[in-house]
Amino acid sequence: MRRLIILVLMLGGMQLILPLGARGYGGQWLLIFGFLIVAAEAVGGLSASIRLPKIVGYLLAGLLFGPSFLNTVDAESITQLAPVSSLAIALIAFLAGAELRWSELKERGVLILKILTVEMTLTFVAVAGFLVAVREYVPFLQDTTFPVALVLSMMFASVAVVHSPAVTMALLTETKARGPVARSTLGVVLVSDVAVILLFSGALALARSVAPPASASAGGTSLGLLVWEIFGALVVGAALGGVVAVYLRWVRRELFLFAVLIAFFGAELARVVHVETLLMLLTAGFVSENLSEEERGHALRIAMERSAAPVFVVFFALAGASMEVTQILVLWPLLIPLILIRLLALWLGTNLGARWGGASPEERRYVWLGLVSQAGVAIGLATIVADLYPERGADIRTLFLATLAVNQTVGPIMFRYALSRSGELNEDANAESDEILSGLAGDTGEMPVATVAESSTPLPPQPA
Amino acid sequence: MTQGLILVLIVVGAYLAAHVVFDWLARKLVIVSGAEYLILGVLLGPSATGLIDATFLQDIAPASALALGWMGAINGSRLVLLRLVRIPALVYRVAFAESLITLFIVGGLQYFLLSWLFGLSPDRAFAPAVALGAFATLSGHAGIELAARRSRGQGLLVTTLRATTGANAAVAICTFGILLAFGHPPSTALSRPITPTEWTVITIVIGVAGGALYHLFLGEENSVDRMFISLGGVLILVSGAATYLRLSPVMAGMFFGMTLINTSRKRNEITAALSRVERPLYFVLLIFAGASWRLSAQSVWLLPVLLFVVARAVGKFGGARLAARLNDVLPTLGPDWGVALLGQGGLIIALSVNYLYQDTLALPNLVFTTAIISVLLTDLLSGRFAASVIPPATTTMTHPMPHRAL
Repeated sequence: MRRLIILVLMLGGMQLILPLGARGYGGQWLLIFGFLIVAAEAVGGLSASIRLPKIVGYLLAGLLFGPSFLNTVDAESITQLAPVSSLAIALIAFLAGAELRWSELKERGVLILKILTVEMTLTFVAVAGFLVAVREYVPFLQDTTFPVALVLSMMFASVAVVHSPAVTMALLTETKARGPVARSTLGVVLVSDVAVILLFSGALALARSVAPPASASAGGTSLGLLVWEIFGALVVGAALGGVVAVYLRWVRRELFLFAVLIAFFGAELARVVHVETLLMLLTAGFVSENLSEEERGHALRIAMERSAAPVFVVFFALAGASMEVTQILVLWPLLIPLILIRLLALWLGTNLGARWGGASPEERRYVWLGLVSQAGVAIGLATIVADLYPERGADIRTLFLATLAVNQTVGPIMFRYALSRSGELNEDANAESDEILSGLAGDTGEMPVATVAESSTPLPPQPA
Repeated sequence: MTQGLILVLIVVGAYLAAHVVFDWLARKLVIVSGAEYLILGVLLGPSATGLIDATFLQDIAPASALALGWMGAINGSRLVLLRLVRIPALVYRVAFAESLITLFIVGGLQYFLLSWLFGLSPDRAFAPAVALGAFATLSGHAGIELAARRSRGQGLLVTTLRATTGANAAVAICTFGILLAFGHPPSTALSRPITPTEWTVITIVIGVAGGALYHLFLGEENSVDRMFISLGGVLILVSGAATYLRLSPVMAGMFFGMTLINTSRKRNEITAALSRVERPLYFVLLIFAGASWRLSAQSVWLLPVLLFVVARAVGKFGGARLAARLNDVLPTLGPDWGVALLGQGGLIIALSVNYLYQDTLALPNLVFTTAIISVLLTDLLSGRFAASVIPPATTTMTHPMPHRAL
């Protein structure tokens, strides 16, 4: 009830303020940003009260206040807030990489690869096979020859196998789950990002040879470039991770500021050297965490989680605001079977892969539920297809975004259910996190004001 | 390489270098750091190397607007009524008398000088004069805390100095906020124009409503994570609303912080959450302010700046002495106690950036230049100024409390 009152009050306040102000100096940007944080947190709280993940609440808040419904956050504001999404992706990737310890990879690596191989192959075959089978009803496959329908379906399927590191990390951060289901899911999701790009590159090359695009230069994405995007990301990410490790070893100050700067710097660097942002920062996180002493790496991770918290809220709210409900409504007869087939393939593939890898019964039963969400790199890949085949690509992208919207909403619910059923939800997570924070306050350079007066070191610069 | 990338590299490198060097200087020479980031900003900005251009400054404007609100909130969160009522009324009389004397001396002199020098009409000269008066009122507390800790002083002098810096901030923020309400461009959205009083009330309401919203939003939440998200979210909303309405985010933020700290049982947690990003935002603001600096187009700009520095010194020194004499505490506080108030502190940067945002007020570059020069002249030595006044603990504690204070 309280949260509903907040939402009504905030909407009323926004209606009063918006006609009185003027653009300039980022006022409107900041106003919408603040509104999204508070409104999405309120809806997130509402969804938590009915045992749904908060992420679902954030997405729904974005959908409600976005252009599809109330339009408080209009299309222009979504564009203006795009840097927040870039920052969020960078933070998520770095945090995800920092979650992986080398020792754990050695221990779980084989299992993760086995699960990934089987589930990805099955999903790819199932989705591509389904599209080919019903090609008369698929907008972008109508009036095509069988070989062209096959390669286009394979291209779609290579994007459809993508998972969402963003949702996985956000949910693990929210629940602080650390059990085998959580670890295996995270491992599969992270490694799949590399595998997906390889798979997509192969499908793209095949599509180019079977159904050459109208313009030779269309899309502008060569295989060599894609390979550089992956391996370049590993190299640059490792170098960045090394620099972070050096900082943690020798300086170790102002970690909050440093965390934001690293994310911003990493995203910018990836853009400049044309490497995959997610993979690069993931590598950076992994290298820095594994090169640093555990305590120091942990301090940076805490600082990053703190700085990421409001960014995550807005990131998912913006994702919700970007969803186009009309597309889902138009495509639902195709969408529902497509989603169900993907789910079935995920369940079967993960189960078989987990059995092959000798995983625990919990992992066999629940890991697939964490693989349903989709986002991030998938949107980029769908855009590459749309650029390459302007006539059919737009339809591929539309269908894919509609699938993604549903999976992104349903996925977190299923993952939370999996964590709950496997007994890995950590209800006392926040209290633990606060304890860590208080233990590290001096270490991270963020000195609570209450302790400043008793400190014997010089005061930090104060604004007044 | 992109501008953003270059900026991050330079800022990180310079930040580390400056931080290490200035930390050492602070320990050894009682110097307060902060001004070095301002210089760094000037060096990076269009006026020097041009590594940060006007477009980029526009891009990071929201971050600096947030920093303004955040600084206001931090100042507001220091105004805990339960603690304030324990301080003797005498201390407030001295503190507010000193604040108002400085405000009127500097504001009045600037008003006449600016009218005469630039041929401004009384209406046009009013805004920069009052803004400079408000800036002059401000005193930094970092230097005082540094000196107080070194000498372990806790007597009436230190209490008065702390109360005076608080009063200075409150007077300056409110004066500046009201000034923006008076200088507000007319709004065409309503059937009648909104009056300055109404704009002032709107500024206060934004802050108070933000504080109330935070409580409604959070209830009795214990998680620091949630508290931080809520605090950040509401403060972004408050700063954004004030900036969007062309009001003072510093004043709205101050009322937000004040409401929050006086209505919550989790004061320490709120203060900790606020202080968590205080430094990063403050550095962003300093670098932004330095980069935004442009030499005033007026060829005689040095005269108002000189007048500001001199009049402020007179106001602080003489005003403090006069305020103490009027309240019979001059023997206790000492004749030179106002010297400890000469350090400007960072709030002046926030207010001057806020002034720069207003397109309708006169002489923005001159006002901004004056603020920057004053910080550069006084901030580094603010610890030394305070140390010259605050005696060792044993001496301070032996001073009897004046009769009127009891």
